[in-house]
Amino acid sequence: MSGAWRIAREEWRLWLRSRMVVAAAAIVAVLIAATAGLTAQRLGHEAVQRSAQQQAAEAAFFSQPDRHPHRMIHYGHYAFRLPPPLAIFDPGVDRVTGQSIFLEGHRQNTAMFADAKASANTGGFAVLTPAALYQLLLPLLIIIIGHGVVLRERESGTLAVLLAQGQSALALAGGKALALLGVAGLFMVPLVMLAAYGIAAGEAAGPALVLVAGYALYLSVWAALVLAVSLLVPARSAALGVLAACWLAMVLVVPRIGINAAAALVDAPGKIESDLAMLAEERKLGDGHNASDPAFDKLKQDLLEQYGVATIEELPVNYRGVVAGAAEEKLTRLLNDYAARRMAAEARQSEVFGTFALASPTLAVSAASRALAGTDLATHHRFLRESEVVRYGFVQALNEMHATKLAYADDARRSVDPAAEARTRINASAWRVLDTFRFAPDPAADRLARAWLPLALLAGWLAVLTALIIYAARRLQP
Amino acid sequence: MIGGLMRETGFLLRDRAALVWLALALVLSVAAVGFGIAEVREQRATLATLLEGDAADRANAIAGQSDWGGAAYNAFHLTYAPPSAFAFAAMGQRDASPWVHRVRMLALEGQIHEADTRNADFGLVGRFDFAFLAASVAPLLLILLLYDLRSGERVAGRHDLLLATAGAGRRVWLPRAAVRLGGLALALLVPFWAGAAIEGAPLASVLQASALVLLALLMWAAITEIAGRAASSPATILTALVGVWLALALLLPALARAAIDARHPVPDGGEILLLQRESVNRAWDIPKPATMQPFVARHPEWADYAAVNRPFEWKWFYAFQQVGDQAAEPLAAQYRAARLAREAAAGRAAFFSPASLIEREFQRLARTDARAMIAYEDRVRAYHAQLRAFYYPLLFRDVPYDPALLAGLPVFTPEDR
Repeated sequence: MSGAWRIAREEWRLWLRSRMVVAAAAIVAVLIAATAGLTAQRLGHEAVQRSAQQQAAEAAFFSQPDRHPHRMIHYGHYAFRLPPPLAIFDPGVDRVTGQSIFLEGHRQNTAMFADAKASANTGGFAVLTPAALYQLLLPLLIIIIGHGVVLRERESGTLAVLLAQGQSALALAGGKALALLGVAGLFMVPLVMLAAYGIAAGEAAGPALVLVAGYALYLSVWAALVLAVSLLVPARSAALGVLAACWLAMVLVVPRIGINAAAALVDAPGKIESDLAMLAEERKLGDGHNASDPAFDKLKQDLLEQYGVATIEELPVNYRGVVAGAAEEKLTRLLNDYAARRMAAEARQSEVFGTFALASPTLAVSAASRALAGTDLATHHRFLRESEVVRYGFVQALNEMHATKLAYADDARRSVDPAAEARTRINASAWRVLDTFRFAPDPAADRLARAWLPLALLAGWLAVLTALIIYAARRLQP
Repeated sequence: MIGGLMRETGFLLRDRAALVWLALALVLSVAAVGFGIAEVREQRATLATLLEGDAADRANAIAGQSDWGGAAYNAFHLTYAPPSAFAFAAMGQRDASPWVHRVRMLALEGQIHEADTRNADFGLVGRFDFAFLAASVAPLLLILLLYDLRSGERVAGRHDLLLATAGAGRRVWLPRAAVRLGGLALALLVPFWAGAAIEGAPLASVLQASALVLLALLMWAAITEIAGRAASSPATILTALVGVWLALALLLPALARAAIDARHPVPDGGEILLLQRESVNRAWDIPKPATMQPFVARHPEWADYAAVNRPFEWKWFYAFQQVGDQAAEPLAAQYRAARLAREAAAGRAAFFSPASLIEREFQRLARTDARAMIAYEDRVRAYHAQLRAFYYPLLFRDVPYDPALLAGLPVFTPEDR
């Protein structure tokens, strides 16, 4: 092992003497530090801002004046998706999906005002985030620093000397691997700091540590690939060409081809398309604004029988409110059904997309990274589902008031009779029915469960490449 | 010269590495164009289904109504931006910005920001379209083809002999570089031309785009040539070139984007909605004239009809919807102006990055750039104004309800692309 250490130390000494290596490493280090600082600051600000906006939205709801409860259903409420602590490393889909959603009666809205829509368009690459730099840039740096680890010895003739001195080829490869892993380890420092910052900000230790381990695995895969190519290819420039092509394919091409393939293979109708299909069905359910809609005949009969009266005017409850509640319930079942189908289709697309990780470790690590940070598509879907629970909760609580606190006669005449209209306003203290909503990251166990498959893929890559290195080292000739 | 080109073509056909790069370029170009056409077709098919479903739904919604207000409340209208014939080459902002809405007579600010965008992972990673291939991937392939023209010969020990035999360096390197560049250009452009022919893209756009790709490749060839003259090892030259590519294609655009976004802040979109919502909902609690006054200020023609006598009247209901839009107008205008300012700044910044320039130029030709998406939103606004112009006379003059008149509802016409 001391042989391997010596070789690694020697490699490092050489790198530190090369101006190009030092300059490239310094540039990447500065970029990572700057990006990490800016992203942490930006997302920290966003977290504070959205949390304040969430509280302001609740305060606004509570401070509404006396009103007809149905007005409050249309007044609505906002839910904000708070960025989890690890979003400072990987903001994930945050900028694509929009962070707030308007909750109101009879509708499920989309999250609006995604940053991506308004951002300056300077071409195809994603914005700079620490995660993107780790995924895109560090592999390239490892390639540039390391493509010659073995070939340099070969081209300068020292490989023959080393092997002739009885240095085992495996120990040589081990030393070179150690040297490359040292580079990777050095560049893990900013991530470790960000993870520690995340834990300090309330993140569970599990996902943060696995995130660090995942990127260590990812950089090891690249180090192994670089070493394998350096062992197998006869000339330095050819090795660099092969590695540049691998980088091009795995980092730039395969992920995007995966997107194209997912879009082409799985048809996930947009919201408007599925809404149209749903609206046709909804019309069969009846319009909750219109209590004389024939679709509510059965409800009416049941109510009259239950209370043993002959007309809706004699009911002890406000029939209009009952209808509004029943219609919302049916509609919500339908909306949830379609929303679930849409999310399932999107999840299937992401699965197809995810299988391309077999051909690209970058895809694997990015999927694991978003899952662990709590900024993946699944988390956004959960945000949509949880905000829907809030929506349904306050809408139905208000419908309940509509049914029990208002007289039917007043309610029916409120459009034409100002006195009746005044009597249909209920006291503003009732608006407290709104549940407070604070979006929290998934439990650590769920995130780890979503990340293990891509991480296992990465481990598979590393195992295959290690086997290749051992094979190549065994037949290493000067 | 012709002889030189023939000779170099012969060499190229025997150079396995070069053939691999060219074949890769061809495969990627076919894939980019194929996926682009498939996506554009799917979007067109989606629009056809939507148009059908939209008309059926509207007819259905209107059928049960008994007054103008109810009809306007329940009838949604599809607005859309179909993909252009060139869109297969650059999907651009269509993954980030919505290109279809269903609007009705309610306050528009509450509707126009709805985002019917696809899977968030798509917007996150981006598509592999021809514009991306030509802008970002092609230069790297060209570098791989050209970087060791000289240094490769130097390593092989033939460099000086070659020069001595040929007499002038030009006679060796120029045909060699020209053949490789030409091969790459053909591998990229032939599938693109085929795709353009299939899609019926306008010839002028195709020529412009092709010229742009060629120009960029020439520029990258010049950079490679300058780097290749250095008497360094091929690996050093390649490293330097990859560094230049990284700076121009990735870092510069990303830094420019961050700087532009910081320099031109957009108003918080949520504020627009909040303002509109507060204004709309407050109307139920304030005296009717407080709503009708700002409405009449905008529409003096209805001043004589603006008296509201009952707790609820449809004309008042739609008046406060419009007043809600009016309240949010300054902020919405700011949002639009800030997006345009970012777009203009990004256009200037693109002159420093050939990759950005190509992608933006392709998106401009394909009408999938931010400007085109904003133009679509302007169309939606104009259409919504038409809807109001259609209903206001009916509501304010208290015209008896006659569903036959609804046949005259304005129809959204998409931009002719």
